[in-house]
Amino acid sequence: MSQRTLPKTDVVIVGGGWTGLTAAYELANAGQRCVVLERGRHRHTATSFAGPEEHDELKYALRYTHMQDVKKETLTFRNNRDQQALPMRRLGSFLPGSGLGGAGIHWNGQIWRPLPSDLEMRSHYEDRYGSQFISDDLTIQDWGVTYDELEPHLDFFERICGAAGYAGNLNGETRAGGNPFEGSRTADYPNPAMKQPISNTLFGKAAEKLGYNPFPMPSANVTQAYENPYGAQLHPCTYCGFCERFGCGYYAKADPIICVYDRIKDHENFEIRFEAQVLQVEKSADGKTATGVTYLDENGVEVFQPADTVCLNAYALWNVHLMLVSGLGTPYDPETRTGTVGRNYSYQTIAAVDAFFDDSITTNPFMGAGALGVVVDDFNGDNFDHSELGFLGGGYIACKQYHGRPISYQPVPEGTPRWGAEWKRAVRENYNRHADLVIHGSSVSTHENYLDLDPTWTDAYGRPLLRMTFNFPDNDRKMSDYVMNRAVEIAREMDNVTSVKSVNLAAEGNDYSVVPYQTTHNVGGAVIGTDPATSVVNRYGQMWDHHNVFVFGACLFPQNLGYNPTGPLMGLAYWTLDHMKNDYLSNPRPLMDA
Amino acid sequence: MSQLFSRRAVLMQIGSAVIAGASSVPRHAFADLDSQPWFFLTDDEARWLAAIVDVFIPQDEFPSASQAGVVDFIDFQMATGYGQGEGLYLKGPFPEGTPQQGYQLPMTPAEMMRAGLTELRGETDLTAMPTADRAAWVDDLSNRDNMLGDVPSSTFFEELLSLTNEGYFADPIYRGNADYAGWRMVGFPGAHAYYTERVGDNKPTNQPPMGIAHGQLNQVSPRKIEQGG
Repeated sequence: MSQRTLPKTDVVIVGGGWTGLTAAYELANAGQRCVVLERGRHRHTATSFAGPEEHDELKYALRYTHMQDVKKETLTFRNNRDQQALPMRRLGSFLPGSGLGGAGIHWNGQIWRPLPSDLEMRSHYEDRYGSQFISDDLTIQDWGVTYDELEPHLDFFERICGAAGYAGNLNGETRAGGNPFEGSRTADYPNPAMKQPISNTLFGKAAEKLGYNPFPMPSANVTQAYENPYGAQLHPCTYCGFCERFGCGYYAKADPIICVYDRIKDHENFEIRFEAQVLQVEKSADGKTATGVTYLDENGVEVFQPADTVCLNAYALWNVHLMLVSGLGTPYDPETRTGTVGRNYSYQTIAAVDAFFDDSITTNPFMGAGALGVVVDDFNGDNFDHSELGFLGGGYIACKQYHGRPISYQPVPEGTPRWGAEWKRAVRENYNRHADLVIHGSSVSTHENYLDLDPTWTDAYGRPLLRMTFNFPDNDRKMSDYVMNRAVEIAREMDNVTSVKSVNLAAEGNDYSVVPYQTTHNVGGAVIGTDPATSVVNRYGQMWDHHNVFVFGACLFPQNLGYNPTGPLMGLAYWTLDHMKNDYLSNPRPLMDA
Repeated sequence: MSQLFSRRAVLMQIGSAVIAGASSVPRHAFADLDSQPWFFLTDDEARWLAAIVDVFIPQDEFPSASQAGVVDFIDFQMATGYGQGEGLYLKGPFPEGTPQQGYQLPMTPAEMMRAGLTELRGETDLTAMPTADRAAWVDDLSNRDNMLGDVPSSTFFEELLSLTNEGYFADPIYRGNADYAGWRMVGFPGAHAYYTERVGDNKPTNQPPMGIAHGQLNQVSPRKIEQGG
């Protein structure tokens, strides 16, 4: 029982990151009184992320000072149902944020759109390769929303971020130098592409020689002075090399604080409460709607905030956790393969290739930026013929220069010992002679990779921890191996390269581990769709079971694409908000028949 | 009007007073720690650590780990947030897990450091071993799969190796990377970073490193550690 009940608000929003603040901006301006509940503290780009203090590798990149505190909330993990899941006792594989702006302040700014075929994954593969092509253990499905429907929203988010890039498909016309595989854009990027360092340029030349189509990575590291549609002022990137895991005090990396929060914080319909830990979504007596949320306020007092509409805008994993502990929707049961909450959790499949240059090349790796890369998309999605390959999906191959922070950036050639004189010399000699290639692969969903509640361990608030059961599906092991080998070929083709090494984290025999960092791209668990038997929300992001609950973020992805999730998930957010503003709020009801 | 001074502000004031009054490199009031006790380590532990971290990062044209303050760094880390278990979920029970499930010990890094050091020091006085023999001993330690008391040997070893690396390359405000040893070695210019004009020029960078507190708060020198061998 709550100790205190507050006056009702129109909309309560759980989480103050990209999607939560954007929901508040759009809904407050549509006349809705919005209360945002953020579990972390207030912080600001100007005062909290300024250099040189922010440029502290140990504090932010290794001690995770901007990230969530696992003492309060974490999860348990196992590779399969035969194991006992154990707590993830410290962060590693992924780094969810906490505090104003959420993980949106420490992203790299790689801002992508999905391929049109990504959003119709099952029907696309069935149409092209026949219905037998998709193996029975895969639960991949269509999103229920198409690229053409999302395009205006993807475009708008690129404008919010001042994205820098070069369109490869403008109004259906392919342009050399851009990504020829991307869906048609109605407009070019608002800002020109980034300057490229020598390593990325040499990668692009080699890829071109092999007949591929290199292009600059789309970037929310802004390249010139820019004002976004909300009136936020962004500044040009300094290529400082402190992007991912850091906030950007230069106002050069789009983040939710400067791009959204500052433009809404004084609005009469907007209120945000910090250190407000939402514990549970409350339901009406008939269970058909939510009545609001219960949270612990900054003084530890349990408070009930009633609301007409509840928006779940926490990080993907914690949205799913909140549904499970609140009894929203039906939990997924892998035994019977019924239920939907927790179903279709997927991740990202990462492989890496290192190329080492002779001493005529000086890369200056510290001149970096989060989205400073040259990319080929020839092996992403279904941009290549899968008929003889035995897998579906793919990934982009990028040569990136995103940092030269010396504790973590220690590229050494194959066979170098892990310590001692020889190691020391190798670290010193290769620091300036390295090209960093990543294979950023998709992740299919399966019956056996899912989220539920742990029977043993609890969080700081006494709730069961989320339990993650995940291993790399065979499909993705093969996919990653195939695309990595294409990357190795490009690396070998690069000028001045003396040696190449590669690692596929999803190689046969490598079980997924929560220890080494891979990506903060946990997706699925509350997926979008058109069938209530296989999705938690309908194609508008509205819960099938509780029509006044709207769900945002990467938890909606039915499987993961070969791209970073922020662009696609923000496209979905604007799509949902559009339907809330123009259809739902004036007449609250289920927007689709179950 | 009352004024509050942070400890940092006070140190900086002292620093600027010294700058005003002296021509040599200024040091703040706490610069000389040789006579101060360690925050966490005992003298014997510090000597033993110095011996092992110098196997990880031996001296060449650039300083060894202990010369660059890595033992001071570890001491400081163990005494502060990280060592004391910040960012670590320590609720039981603590069943044994798979490597993929990560750290599962019921102890903070500082507790693990003490436990591991106590076991290993009791077994081998590394400081008494001739320097030439130490690398082989460390190599053997890295391959062990036994327990050091309650700590798996490999867990302790990896912790020590990563702390050593951090201490050699972290910003000098954490007491390692003395005189920017690690940064000079690789050519990392540090925390003051504006490269818009230079991206892609393929030219060497000869910018002397500058840390977060460069020119404001001078780094404490590593404590002198007498080593055998």
